[in-house]
Amino acid sequence: MASIGQIVPQTPGSEVLARARQRAILVPDCMVEARRIANTVIAGWHGRRKRGIGENFWQFRPYSEGESLSRIDWRRSARDDHTYVRDREWEAAHTVWLWADMSPSMMYKSTLGTVSKESRALVLMLALAEILARSGERIGCPGIMEPVAARNAAERLASAIMLSPPPEGLPDTQMIRGASDIVLIGDFLDDADRIMARIAPLARRNLRGHVVEIADPAEETFPYSGRTEFTDPETGEKLVSGRAETLREDYQRAYLARRDHLGQSLRRMGWSFVFHRTDHLASEALAALHGHLSGNPPQLSGAR
Amino acid sequence: MGLLAFANPAILFGLIALPAIWWLLRLTPPRPKAEVFPPLAILATVLKRQETPSKSPWWLTLLRMALAAAVILAIAGPVMNPRSAAISGGGPLVLIVDNSWSAAPDWGRRVETADQLIGDAEQADLPVSIVFTADATHDAVPGSASSAREKLRAARPKPLVPQRALAVDAVAAALNGTRPGTVAFLSDGVSTPDDGAMMTRLAGLLPQQLNLIQGDGDGAVALTDAVNTAASMTVTAARLSREHPETLKVNALDQQGRSLASADLTFAAGAATARADISAPFELRNDFARLAIDGKATAGAAHLLDDGFKRRRVALLAGDGGNDMQPLLLPLYYISRALQPYADLIEPRGADLSTSLPDILQQNPSAIIMADIGRLPAETYEPLQQWIARGGTLIRFAGPRLAAAPADDPLVPVILRRGERTLGGALSWAEPQPLADFPNFGPFAGMPRAEDVRVNRQVLAEPTPDLAERTWASLGDGTPLVTTRQVNNGRIVLFHVSAEATWSNLPISGTFVEMLRRLVQMARAGGAVTATGGAAAVAGAAPAETVLPPFRLLTADGALTTETGTAKPLTLAAGRTPGASPDHPPGLYGSEDGFTALNLLPAGTELNPVDLSAAGNLTVTRAGLIGREAWSLRPALFTIAFLLLLLDSLIVLAMNGAFSRLPRAGRATAALLMIALLPFALAPGESRAQAPGQDARPGDEQALERLDTTHLAYVVTGEADVDRLSEQGLEGLSQFLTYRTTLEPGAPVGLDISKDELSFYPIIYWPISASAPMPTQAAISRIDAYMRNGGTVLFDTRDQFTALDAGGGTSANSRRLQEILANIDIPPLEPTPENHVLTRTFYLLSSFPGRYTGSPLWVEARQDSRNSGSNLSSTGDGVTPILITGNDFAGAWAIDANGAPVLPTVPPDEMQREYAYRAGVNIMMYMLTGNYKADQVHVPALLERLGQ
Repeated sequence: MASIGQIVPQTPGSEVLARARQRAILVPDCMVEARRIANTVIAGWHGRRKRGIGENFWQFRPYSEGESLSRIDWRRSARDDHTYVRDREWEAAHTVWLWADMSPSMMYKSTLGTVSKESRALVLMLALAEILARSGERIGCPGIMEPVAARNAAERLASAIMLSPPPEGLPDTQMIRGASDIVLIGDFLDDADRIMARIAPLARRNLRGHVVEIADPAEETFPYSGRTEFTDPETGEKLVSGRAETLREDYQRAYLARRDHLGQSLRRMGWSFVFHRTDHLASEALAALHGHLSGNPPQLSGAR
Repeated sequence: MGLLAFANPAILFGLIALPAIWWLLRLTPPRPKAEVFPPLAILATVLKRQETPSKSPWWLTLLRMALAAAVILAIAGPVMNPRSAAISGGGPLVLIVDNSWSAAPDWGRRVETADQLIGDAEQADLPVSIVFTADATHDAVPGSASSAREKLRAARPKPLVPQRALAVDAVAAALNGTRPGTVAFLSDGVSTPDDGAMMTRLAGLLPQQLNLIQGDGDGAVALTDAVNTAASMTVTAARLSREHPETLKVNALDQQGRSLASADLTFAAGAATARADISAPFELRNDFARLAIDGKATAGAAHLLDDGFKRRRVALLAGDGGNDMQPLLLPLYYISRALQPYADLIEPRGADLSTSLPDILQQNPSAIIMADIGRLPAETYEPLQQWIARGGTLIRFAGPRLAAAPADDPLVPVILRRGERTLGGALSWAEPQPLADFPNFGPFAGMPRAEDVRVNRQVLAEPTPDLAERTWASLGDGTPLVTTRQVNNGRIVLFHVSAEATWSNLPISGTFVEMLRRLVQMARAGGAVTATGGAAAVAGAAPAETVLPPFRLLTADGALTTETGTAKPLTLAAGRTPGASPDHPPGLYGSEDGFTALNLLPAGTELNPVDLSAAGNLTVTRAGLIGREAWSLRPALFTIAFLLLLLDSLIVLAMNGAFSRLPRAGRATAALLMIALLPFALAPGESRAQAPGQDARPGDEQALERLDTTHLAYVVTGEADVDRLSEQGLEGLSQFLTYRTTLEPGAPVGLDISKDELSFYPIIYWPISASAPMPTQAAISRIDAYMRNGGTVLFDTRDQFTALDAGGGTSANSRRLQEILANIDIPPLEPTPENHVLTRTFYLLSSFPGRYTGSPLWVEARQDSRNSGSNLSSTGDGVTPILITGNDFAGAWAIDANGAPVLPTVPPDEMQREYAYRAGVNIMMYMLTGNYKADQVHVPALLERLGQ
């Protein structure tokens, strides 16, 4: 009997990029919420709904003493007795760090899922990069690519990943400076407490995070039965269960408990948590993530 | 010799498959489906125990390999199978088979071996001549193999010694000059006296080949002799192999084959014979019917004891016929009284000894007791002495006649002095002599010293050097009382006192009975001695010729059988000891009433290995029997394989976690297992219920709560208004007590006296109501027990005024109280006296009013109230067990929920209510403090004493 799950080879970057583009087309421009954005000077393309440096008109406000006279909008001031200053909307680019787990466990694909978890993660990441680049955000990948603000950021990210595959485990966050958003895509199958121990320092550094957990349906439904030998693709550890079907209930309980625990811990830190299954459409996760990035959490997040 | 052979050696090629099995086994348990599973860590938390997959552990594989190997080996059928040498083809095969007693244990293998030889001869188309050495007749005519087989099948081991020379003679006669090819001699390994003759005759046959086929019967052991001595039965045994020390057990069996006693028979290294002493009491030894060596089922290892005389026949002879009118003076009176329970007594028909003595001897007694016979008729001496020599026991008692008899009497054990010695007579200085301690030999050894026996007269023995050895009992001054002499197989015993009570009081003592009994037992033992060891003779005197039919015969296995077969009656002739022969196989001859044992081996037999040195120039090929040990390894191997299989199943179950999942698995197997385990699971539960410290019972908390605080209690009468009033009354008193005193009682408790525990309460208030149901007898007896154990019941008839209304008679309530108390053991009562403790336990009171006033409070009357200062009642620390009033205390005490009195007092006087409360307080204090307040009268005296 053919096994349900298998390890598939890593997905080629170009293919993923093409698929990512298709997904990205479906998603409107991403408006990264600027609530807690760093006071960067780099001009972006999108207003922050806040006065600052930019090109678009934001508001007129009465002139106050001490301001530079050059900022007075005389045209408006001429209309009545007061002097007004024209404020412009602050248009600053935001740095979004994207990271996808490329560990061997992500290469897993079961017969129930359409693609491997790694493939789905890459698609999500590149689609996100495409959307964000379209919105003029700076896209970076911790440990791999410095943030760039370019329309072709997605291509550059794809080629950077192809050239230097991201190391396993959670990313090296040395490159991340200042407040920015970070999107972590992976399966997060490690112990939830250990993951949180890694993530918590990031949160303390004012990073706003979005965690996307990708799961294969087989991992959630545990469709195994009979005498089964389970192998961990990362450690090579093996477990033999004489009657796998007897474990299903317990396993599912433990699995969902871990996910709930992880999600709650993340939300407590102010991070968002999106769960995605590979047998669902990538757009679902992308839409949810988009919502979180834009500051409008969707009512129905992820697959659940 | 022990060669391991296989019935199906081809199966052993299966062992080649073991490596393949090894490889296959390493794959089992069936290879699991391999699944990549990233969330393994989560799974691992669920699947508790990690299993080393895909390969079973090496030891499990090894176990299974052993299992497979055991099965293969078992199918191959290993047996110990030394093949006997091939036979020579030059002439007929001659089989000389020992079917003697020592061939019995491995007879099956002997038959097998012989059968194989016959088969060999059949293949070579040779005639077969087969003889059996222990048979009576030998038909040695060479015949076909099938007829030889028939003979072989028909042959059985005989409980006899082989007669090999005769067998060889028969063979020689049958062959009639034909030169035999192979002579196979299936020997039992024990030599016989005619071995030399056999070998020379065998050599005369000029066989081409002589095969000596011998079993591993080195263990042949035979009991050759048994002697019943005074204290034990000594068994002599002989053995064939004498290199190693050996310890065997000899069992003494009774007629039903039950083991009565046993002893260890220890052969020293190199010793051919050994002795064992079976120690047992006389009576038990008399029941011995057969001796057998434990684990050796041969006729030689069994020794028959003839047991024909369960009751010894004892002839009584007296010199003086005496006077029947004075039986106590008859010389034989005490002897017959003493022996009647133990022996058959015969007495001469006439007074004439010359005719009666031969008559008695004809009846074959084992013992003859002669009381005070000085001289016998001359012609009777000869037969009597012969009888003694054959094993008879003559017991004589002294007397005036014996004392006067001439000294040359051959039938006295010692030389006697003429005349008797008088002790303690009128003209004698000597005191009557007591008995000395019995010597530690002889039949009286171990008997307690007879303290009360005094000997006044006796006959004296001439001192001889061996007198002490022949003295079985002596007097305090050392003169012999009982002497003895062995005469051939028989014995003469002489009592130096008379058989009646004139010379001593010995005959009327218990010691006399015991001594005679032991002597008669000895006589019997003497009879057994002569009957054993193949020299069978009826104990006592046998007539010249006795023909005894076979009664029970010994089989070759050493068991007794009733089949007498061709055995011929045994003729016992005096002076000739018959031996076991084909005509007279060993066994018991006679009838149930009396039989003689004929044993296989005569006394002193030694077992020696067969000596073939006389074979001369014949080449002797030695071989062993087929089927050594007759032990196939197949069942053992199958058992091992099965056990390994079980073990393997258990291990696999354990490895798959079957046992750890049991509680959750709702499967039938698990359920069955649970059912099987249920008794075990329940058993500790039951024992736990009885374990100390776990004896909590329902109601314990209630009881503890009752014990924590003092509660006032009342009896629930069953009438709602009375009970309510009681509760309200006690509640009022409780509040009053709490307010005024340090006693803070809990809520009042209504008691069902038929079942509630009463012992928690110091006092029980019982309002009597005639209209309430009468309490049961059991309830009243509980109240009685409560009062007896120190409790107090306050009966309140509440009829102070109704009684008056009734016009002098008793009221209904009082009558009810009388009915109740009718069955209670109450002390005498009196109205509370003026100086009773009740009047001053808390308040100083002169009366005890309730709702009514005027009724006295009845208490137990004080003992000695008139003249004793102590006002104590008898029990309960001076507290009266009963208080009776008619004043309706509860009615006065009763308060409602607001604390207002429920009923008015009669007459309406609140001071009376106050006094009623005070009376209640005094009663409660009296209950709780007992006579403590009574002691206060002594306070001035105590203070005075302390102040000095």
